[in-house]
Amino acid sequence: MNFLQLAWKSISGNGLRSWVVALSALVVAAFALFGTLLLRGAATSLELAAERLGADIVVVPDGAQTEMEGALLMGHPASFWMPEENLQKLAAVPGVEAVSPQVYLATLVGAACCSASEMFMVAYDPQSDFTLRPWLEKTLPGGLAEGEVVGGDFISATEPNDGILVYGTTVRLTGNLEPTGSGLDQSLFFTMDTARQLAVSSWVNAEEPLIIPPDQVSAIMVKTTPGADVEKVAVEILRTVPGVFPVASADLFQSSRAQLKSLLNTVVIMMALLWPIAIALIGMVYLMAANERRRELGMLRALGATKRFIAQSLLTEASLLALCGAAVGIFVAVLAIYLFRRLIINSLGVPFLLPSPGSLALQIAIGLLLAMASVFLAALLPAIKVSRQDPAVAMRE
Amino acid sequence: MQGNTMIKLESVTKVYELGRGATVIAAKDVSLEIGAGEFVAIVGRSGSGKTTVLNLAAGLTRPTAGRVTLDGIDLWRLTDKEQSRLRNQKIGFVFQFPSLLPTLTVLENVILPTTFGPRESRAAARARAADLLERIGLSDKINVYPRQLSAGQQQRVVIARSLINKPELLLADEPTSNLDEKTEMEIVGLFRELHATLGVTVVLVTHTRQLVSAGMRAIEMAEGRVAAPQLAIGGVPENGSRPVEYAKNGLSATVAGQSELSY
Repeated sequence: MNFLQLAWKSISGNGLRSWVVALSALVVAAFALFGTLLLRGAATSLELAAERLGADIVVVPDGAQTEMEGALLMGHPASFWMPEENLQKLAAVPGVEAVSPQVYLATLVGAACCSASEMFMVAYDPQSDFTLRPWLEKTLPGGLAEGEVVGGDFISATEPNDGILVYGTTVRLTGNLEPTGSGLDQSLFFTMDTARQLAVSSWVNAEEPLIIPPDQVSAIMVKTTPGADVEKVAVEILRTVPGVFPVASADLFQSSRAQLKSLLNTVVIMMALLWPIAIALIGMVYLMAANERRRELGMLRALGATKRFIAQSLLTEASLLALCGAAVGIFVAVLAIYLFRRLIINSLGVPFLLPSPGSLALQIAIGLLLAMASVFLAALLPAIKVSRQDPAVAMRE
Repeated sequence: MQGNTMIKLESVTKVYELGRGATVIAAKDVSLEIGAGEFVAIVGRSGSGKTTVLNLAAGLTRPTAGRVTLDGIDLWRLTDKEQSRLRNQKIGFVFQFPSLLPTLTVLENVILPTTFGPRESRAAARARAADLLERIGLSDKINVYPRQLSAGQQQRVVIARSLINKPELLLADEPTSNLDEKTEMEIVGLFRELHATLGVTVVLVTHTRQLVSAGMRAIEMAEGRVAAPQLAIGGVPENGSRPVEYAKNGLSATVAGQSELSY
């Protein structure tokens, strides 16, 4: 009989107390992990989305910035246009090194053609593009040919030969971008030429035609010269190019960042409330248990248990319960995140990227440690108190 | 008194603090000696300080004043670890209250004290426990839980537990208070046999004078003091202070079917 076995016997023999402590650990671990996964998933997704755009400044028609963010981050339908001639105006702004247009064609909702329930179609100019190019250069050195597309992480082919049916025409999916957790994962990237061909053929092949207004673009990606102050360049664009709104990359997705901040505050407040309550509850349970078991613990002291053994035995018991409770809590949190990912994204209005296995393991370890530390802390005082008790007094009625 | 001194209390006083400044004097200037191999009964009314003396002798409570030695060792000069080790190796306890852990089987309860002692193989401890249980007639109850035993059987398991580390001293605090008369006789008979066969020092606290029998030394406590350090069974106390009547007949009942006890 060692003290692990003793602790386990005590746990199994005191059902209600064990359940209360394990459930408290479960709630703390589940909430901590769920909150952390959610916040980190959203923050990572925002960072990756901004990085994927690859521009120092994104210029959109004035008033379309929220719509643009909704389209890029959440894949919401978007349609906004500005004259193509803005390209030259922007290129002339001091501090601007390169400009490249993008056309946000349409958002296919419930498209039968692809695995994503919504598909956001983006056309880019391969001549001037600097946002997709780094990725394309690595995986498709020849670039995209006519009729070829690159998909976000969620896009998959549904037709033979990697085909995807878009507006009645089958295009070939040549590859997928890394996941970002944002609307970009549901995006399909075409060259401008392919987009124009699609628009033409859609009049014959599709139920509804794809309309691309002539000489119009949706957004212009701006790359600043090395060392240039991006904010100053953005202010200069605002001053010199009428009808547009420049969004510096640092300011991109402001509404989502604000949403994330409020989410963070909520999680922090909830944890600030939940944690002490859980500790107090577990502490109370252990204090009651220690009082209930005074005689038993006094008897163990009489049989030769040291004060240290008594404290260790109670803390081992608490730690075992915490471990079991937290393990279940972690499983529940991870399962909830995986199962309700879409629901979370839609209800919270922030993008979300599932963590990598390494990052998930780290967060699980943190959640486990937090729950175990909570239970350990809560049980520490009662354990010390009861271990220091005079055995003779403890054994008295 | 036989052989060396096993327990020695010198002018020991124990005051319990009840909180809010209230105190109770549980033992007052108690001095007594119990020799190795003696069978001593500490008798007295409820609240007379019998249990306190037993607890003091075992180092289960620190004396407010005075000195307690066990086999020549000053208990309160030891660290908690040393004191616990001493209790574990030298003393076997039989308590008044049901002291078996309900979540452990009979066998696990008996080997419980070995958990706190020097490392030994699990098999050796189990074998010793099984042997003890056989000797007290409970070999068929090894794997049952305490709730499945009668009060008398439970107390016999406690006695087996008290012997698992081969103690030199057996302290029993009203071990028969919750038992019927027949079982009471059996348990006292068991103590007598343990004393006779193992040579273990036995200190039995009881408020039932009828349990005191020939061959025992009786110490009477009253109001926290030693009222009579050596009562003659059925006769006059050694100090001649006052005569006390105790049962003269030896309570030699033994557990049916048990074999002779020996370590």
